[in-house]
Amino acid sequence: MTTEGLRFPNGTTVVIAVFLIALPCILPSLTLASEILVLATGALSCTLLLGSVGLLSFGQGLYFGLGAYVSAILIRDFELTALAATIVASLAGCLLAAAAGLLIVRRQGVYFVMLTLAFAQMGFFLALAFPRLTGGENGFGNVPRTTIAFGQFALSNPLLLYAFLAFLSFAAFALVQRIVASPFGSVLNSIRYNESRSEALGYDARRFKLAAVTMAGGIAALAGAMNTLMLSFVPLSAIDVETSERLLIASLIGGVGSPLGALIGASVLSAMSDFLSPIWPRWSTIVAVLLIVTVLFLRDGLLGLGGVLRRQGKEMPNG
Amino acid sequence: MAEILLSAQGLGVRFGSFNAIEDLNLSIARGTLHSVIGPNGAGKTTLFNALSGTRIPTQGEIRFQGHPITNVPAYGRVHLGLSRSFQLTNIFRDLSVAENILLALQAVAGREAWAFWRNRDPLKVRKKRAAELADTVGLSARFEARAGDLSHGAQRALEIAMALASDPKLLFLDEPLAGMGLDDVHRTKLLIKSLAPERTVVLIEHNMSVVLDISDTVTVLAQGKKIAEGSPQAIRTNVEVKNAYLGSAA
Amino acid sequence: MSAQVLIFGALNGVGIGMIYFILSVGLTMIFGLMQFVNFAHGAFYMVSAYAAFAIAQWTGSVLPAFLISPILAAIFALVSERLLLQRTYSLPHEAQILITFALAILAQESVTMIFGTLGKNVPVPEVFSGVLILGGFVYPSYRLFVVGVAVAVAVAMWLAIERTRFGAMVRAAAENAEMMGLLGFDSRKVFMAAFAFGGALAGLAGALAAPLRGVEPLMGREALAIAFVVVILGGLGSFNGALLAALLIGITQSLMSMIWPGGAHLMIYGVMTMILAFRPTGLMGRS
Repeated sequence: MTTEGLRFPNGTTVVIAVFLIALPCILPSLTLASEILVLATGALSCTLLLGSVGLLSFGQGLYFGLGAYVSAILIRDFELTALAATIVASLAGCLLAAAAGLLIVRRQGVYFVMLTLAFAQMGFFLALAFPRLTGGENGFGNVPRTTIAFGQFALSNPLLLYAFLAFLSFAAFALVQRIVASPFGSVLNSIRYNESRSEALGYDARRFKLAAVTMAGGIAALAGAMNTLMLSFVPLSAIDVETSERLLIASLIGGVGSPLGALIGASVLSAMSDFLSPIWPRWSTIVAVLLIVTVLFLRDGLLGLGGVLRRQGKEMPNG
Repeated sequence: MAEILLSAQGLGVRFGSFNAIEDLNLSIARGTLHSVIGPNGAGKTTLFNALSGTRIPTQGEIRFQGHPITNVPAYGRVHLGLSRSFQLTNIFRDLSVAENILLALQAVAGREAWAFWRNRDPLKVRKKRAAELADTVGLSARFEARAGDLSHGAQRALEIAMALASDPKLLFLDEPLAGMGLDDVHRTKLLIKSLAPERTVVLIEHNMSVVLDISDTVTVLAQGKKIAEGSPQAIRTNVEVKNAYLGSAA
Repeated sequence: MSAQVLIFGALNGVGIGMIYFILSVGLTMIFGLMQFVNFAHGAFYMVSAYAAFAIAQWTGSVLPAFLISPILAAIFALVSERLLLQRTYSLPHEAQILITFALAILAQESVTMIFGTLGKNVPVPEVFSGVLILGGFVYPSYRLFVVGVAVAVAVAMWLAIERTRFGAMVRAAAENAEMMGLLGFDSRKVFMAAFAFGGALAGLAGALAAPLRGVEPLMGREALAIAFVVVILGGLGSFNGALLAALLIGITQSLMSMIWPGGAHLMIYGVMTMILAFRPTGLMGRS
């Protein structure tokens, strides 16, 4: 992410907040708005990794799925409140990400990417192999909609549910903005830009990457928990490779140059899905084409569209 | 005899079946300006990479202030007091000169690099130090300029400033004068000379007149091995050195 | 568990492993040569498997597919290189990964458009539809055929790499990609040839696997993950490593499927994780 002069909070923070509030007003259904929030938060974990540290992860779905299952189990079988379950699920995501990260951050470049895909597949087979825990192919169901704020608000009310999800989303987005605009963020950025230079200055790149991977895992798990709250159910697909891919595509299309990109990409992708899938089941074809266009021409995703048009002829922005 | 600050014994770096450096012994005395020269492909940069930790050697031992550091990675060596600049300009182009230097200063400022809860405003004393470093290398006027927009000579100067930021005991400078115009060369030569004896400087350079002018000791490498070592005067008249240079296409 | 069942399982494992090897060796050699990871590699496998299905439908036998599918896959590889990939050479690695990933999605959607979302069976070729009886030991002929073909391909490749000049070039270039240019070879042509060949191998694997596993649109994705595990475990760029790793996970999967069927696939990744924990560079690769 471009980080010069970045501060938190800033204009983007306001835009995000406005976006979250306006979404249910603009869209025809609260369900769609909630879906966007979940996808956006999940995509945010990819944005953090790729935009800040330059790490391409095909495996955030693993933590998304973990968050989904852990929160579901905690709410249904351990009667935790929604907030408590969400927090614990996010922490579980951090833990797993740290453990996987220890193995993965040792490797450079494409090795890292391949490992994330392999781990994503592993997560899927893990869930499938322990059906008593996860419900296997049938998923984990009957997760009750509980209350928040000490029983004051019932999540069975769709608007309140959305408000809660928006609150969680905002927290995640604020966290990422906070990180990026801090000294820690400046180090991540330097690692992305030129890792060996960064190390030559005295930064232990592996530890910083591990920290970023851990945080991203927590954010993805948060999104998974949000998914559970939204659906009251955890489908097996929450942890399959396609979820990992969807999170990544949403963040890429929106643009990894800013957390706002995750929100935009998620909105576009969800809207396309909602609109197109009844008309043309193979609408993913368009997504693939959009991805190719983004990679070749829109290095900063849709967010960078304005920049690309303005900068025609000049040096392309550093992706 | 001056104290040996950095020593390498039996140093070797292999790439597959190719020995970039073989059985190299080197001692750098504290407070000296020690140059490493040799024709292209002699292994100078590889030597630097091994000594600075960018590439862990496949053989041999390196000691700094008597302690073995052979397997200490690059980032660790910075905290021990070693620092380096790069042959190909390796600055952060999208950041300003000030931010580049501040980044270097932040790396040795303890836990500060991990602060994720506050904005980046550096401490006043840090900003002052960055300004001083910029001034030392002659970049005061361009302090807020984007590093990528600087002239080549200015970028090389920034490289040196960033290497100095960690207040190193031993500084590796990899072809700092490469591609510089005459004025810059003169200014940088004086700068480098001024660094010793407070710091120890190890220099790779092709500019022979500068090397012979400012060095205390010169080591000559050819094809991964040391072929001569001594005062500039001794090297100037060394037959083997002449052959090494004339023999190669350098 | 009786000895015969164990041997059966191990043989199956070798068969699966050899298919995994053929699938993965192209991927690893291409990475060794060009630092390029093809996320559409699984798509080559899938498209070829579907081609085998189509051929079996039209001609009544899948046998011609063993020749045609690899050729089709090679063409697919070359076309995608010309049209898309060559635009990415000046871009960072992520760009290549994402473009090939998009390509894989396109392939998957195209196949689904033509053949539908449900999996389909591919009949084993008539000539191999029987079993081989050696003493008291019974084993399906087709599986033996697969092992035979795979071993033949592996041996041929090994000979080509170890004994020919081209192979020496490939080995040298895998060690140091810059050498290719220095040795005076047009690296573009070498790469295109290697890429097409790698695609052909994936195609062969797909055609061979089709009668064993059937075809379905998601098979490419799974194949890609397996190829990655093999390549990661074996070490990027290592022929021997790929062979060893492929056999290891093939046998693991096969034996596991007898002990704990639900966890057979999981164990592949479990083994990968354990090995990586102790040997980060994989079984045989350089770092």
